Amino acid sequence: MSRPLQERLTHIGEMLLDKAHHGGIDAEVFLLHNRELSIEVVEGQVDTLKEAEEIGLGLRVIKGNRLGFAFTSDLSPKALEEVWDAAVSICHYTAPDQYLSLPAGPAEYPSLEVYDPVISQTSIEEKIELARQAEKASRQYDPRITVIERAGYEDSEFHSLILNTRGIRAYAKGNYCGTYVFAVAEEDADAQTGFSISIKQKLADLDPLAVGTEAAHNAVRCLHARRAPSGKVPCIMEPYVATRFLGIIAQMVDAEAVQKGKSLFKGRMGHKVGAECLSLTDDGTYPGGVGSFPFDSEGVPCQRTELIQNGHLVGFLYDTYTANRDRTRSTGNGQRSSFRGLPSVGSTNFMIEPGVLSLNQLMDDITYGFYITEVMGMHTANPISGEFSVGAAGLLIEKGQLTKPVRGVTIAGNIVELLEQVEAVGSDLRFFGSRGAPSLRIRYLSLSGD
Amino acid sequence: MLDRMLLADILDEALKKGGDFAEIYIEEKVSTSVYCEEDRIEKINSGRERGAGIRVLAGGRTSYVYTNDLSREGLLKAARVAGHAARSQQAETRSPISLHSKPAPEPVHYFRLPEEVLFDEKIAHVLAANQAARDLGPDIKQVTVAVGDNHKSVLIANSDGEIVEDDRVRVRFLVNVVAERNGVIQTGYESAGGVAGWELLEQISPVDMARKAGELAIKMLDARPAPVGRMPVVMSSEAGGTMVHEACGHGLEADLVQKGLSVYRNKLGEQVAAPLVTVIDDATIPGKFGYLRFDDEGTPGQRTVLIDQGRLVGYMYDRLTAKKDQVKSTGNGRRESYQHKPIPRMTNTLIAPGEDDPEEIIRSTSRGLLVKKMGGGQVNTTNGDFVFEVQEGYLIENGEIVAPVRGATLTGNGPEVLASIDRVGRDLGYAIGTCGKDGQGVPVADAQPTIRIKELTVGGTSHDSHPAYRIRRK
Repeated sequence: MSRPLQERLTHIGEMLLDKAHHGGIDAEVFLLHNRELSIEVVEGQVDTLKEAEEIGLGLRVIKGNRLGFAFTSDLSPKALEEVWDAAVSICHYTAPDQYLSLPAGPAEYPSLEVYDPVISQTSIEEKIELARQAEKASRQYDPRITVIERAGYEDSEFHSLILNTRGIRAYAKGNYCGTYVFAVAEEDADAQTGFSISIKQKLADLDPLAVGTEAAHNAVRCLHARRAPSGKVPCIMEPYVATRFLGIIAQMVDAEAVQKGKSLFKGRMGHKVGAECLSLTDDGTYPGGVGSFPFDSEGVPCQRTELIQNGHLVGFLYDTYTANRDRTRSTGNGQRSSFRGLPSVGSTNFMIEPGVLSLNQLMDDITYGFYITEVMGMHTANPISGEFSVGAAGLLIEKGQLTKPVRGVTIAGNIVELLEQVEAVGSDLRFFGSRGAPSLRIRYLSLSGD
Repeated sequence: MLDRMLLADILDEALKKGGDFAEIYIEEKVSTSVYCEEDRIEKINSGRERGAGIRVLAGGRTSYVYTNDLSREGLLKAARVAGHAARSQQAETRSPISLHSKPAPEPVHYFRLPEEVLFDEKIAHVLAANQAARDLGPDIKQVTVAVGDNHKSVLIANSDGEIVEDDRVRVRFLVNVVAERNGVIQTGYESAGGVAGWELLEQISPVDMARKAGELAIKMLDARPAPVGRMPVVMSSEAGGTMVHEACGHGLEADLVQKGLSVYRNKLGEQVAAPLVTVIDDATIPGKFGYLRFDDEGTPGQRTVLIDQGRLVGYMYDRLTAKKDQVKSTGNGRRESYQHKPIPRMTNTLIAPGEDDPEEIIRSTSRGLLVKKMGGGQVNTTNGDFVFEVQEGYLIENGEIVAPVRGATLTGNGPEVLASIDRVGRDLGYAIGTCGKDGQGVPVADAQPTIRIKELTVGGTSHDSHPAYRIRRK
């Protein structure tokens, strides 16, 4: 199945490259074929089944140091003519920039296991059963679980081809699958939600029972939550909450943000930017990682890049353009979410390295603190100023034990301060999608409640 | 786009194995964007995309298949896959579908379509805005200006025989300004857009937006950290309606209500807000960012009163949820693109204006927070807890606006907050945004008059530095 597809994509790409060679224009063709399946079950029955197939092309050209880009989902010869004309004519309007270039090939790519044939060989019926199992496990966990908001299974398979006039020829296919449950627990007119999600590179690694059970557990533990008093308190962030903060940190180590003065890490290379126990890595070759792939969206090989080591800033994430600007090499972080846009700096498998302490050891000597299990409105945090003020829910920590549930409070601070305030990291590294973190103990956070 | 015979064949194919309802949604979208940063035009993007989504409903099940292969074979194959997934035991023979247009609201007249406006003109507006922000002085360190436009042609046909075609054009400007002084960084943000062609520029001025965003960023450099605790909050009409969107809008979407995921379920006819509060979702306001001639199921957009003087009187429905409650769709079935199934969504959502003088509302507040600009927000509809960001806030003391504050976030509970609105102004202000739900983003507008909430939790960072501003709960 994939051989003819690869040939078809290559044929289309070559046609456009021919045009580029004739016109003496640097060009890159990014072709993506994507197939998705998602299944949602309600009370054991399939509620929604969605199957999708998508193909598209993004064309990047550089003419006289000027950048042009156009995309199309229509791959007919006429549409390809149009996309070529559009991309080239845009070069007339964009500002010239000496740092623009396409990566040069040929490149050697790491050999990674990013395609699991079991996913495509497994029938839809079996996949429905996985979603059912997750839902059932959630319902059976506790009688107070009254509604399963959604329980489902999803997988995605993609074929990516990148060709450019500088000799890059990259083709690979990948896939991944996942299952999730959002559960609602109710008691005495109080209703609370809990969720769990697991995304894996291999179908055999999915554990629907664990997902269902965890969602239910997370909902039940929030029942009868109340606001807590305002104050500065020691906190522990669950790995999930820590990964939400990684979203902001990813923008701070993005070379583009740094170069444009939109990162608080500008001018801080080699300096101490966090606690000693804090190390941050991006690894596009991480075994089993959902963000692993042999090459990035420009055809540059993926790699492991250390960003913060024992609290010291040691690296940034680069794509080809930002690397040119800093006279360094791309770290293989030129990413794009679809064929509809230009590549820009993005993370792959982005993680805080785990430590050695268990959760109990992290919590042991906290007399009064806040164990954060959920943050709301994280998208409102400002990666440029580093300021965040987000809604939070969780549990009180009293004498080293988790006690009463808390909701309706906010936690606020500055991300730079937060990194310095990390006192200890747990051993429980866990990935949510392509971002991973262990539990983090924070010396103090400003909590606002009653 | 496609002839009716073929569309009918596709719908027939989709229902061959059973199923109660089939629909095809075809979209062709032409879009461009111009992006300016670092004082120069950095990126221009131009794209063309088309695709179709086929939906089959069978019992409570939905199957949805999308493809961008719009050939006869491609569409029939997609219909077969969707039909197969929705197949039922008792597939009855049905008569072939014939499609007919129905009476429709007047089409929107677009004066200047995006594809007819040259890049030169789009770029000129973007550069002028960039310059206006930079002219504000050396504190301005970075300016980002973007304009995006798109022209969507949509065709929707279904097994009830309905067929609808619609042309949708949106233009949207965004300005983001970064100011820095002595190591303190602050940002200001403005956005404006509508369902309109480039004639939208008769109503909005990118240059004014850029100045406003830049002035806000500079002002916030001197702002003190926001106070924390419970206190009265006045929300200016300029702030737009993020609060109403989060505090009650989402909870009134019928899918969440029916799944038991809304604090407003089983509350129809009950008092859920102060009598001063009327909440309306109105897709029919011309030009507004959430305007719909038809929703994405072909139902005409309409005005739906949700809360009438504090009493809950309606929910927002799409076709599927309306059928479950045996009511009519309120024209709120929306989707991001052909890649998504329609679900109940807001359009232009507003708290209706009241009678109070907005100035007087502030004057009569002895101490609290004035919100002049809201940012993004989020809600947990199950328990009603919501949070949203304050982009521009001021302390009120003895009825006077005394100082700007930064970094505030407001948290509250929808029903509690609606019940504690004690003043409603006679003004009305809009804000636009992209609302996300189930992984789908759709353009919306929200509006509200100046209102006062007796007490909300303000989250900020000034615990120890400004104890005087801590307000205790009664």
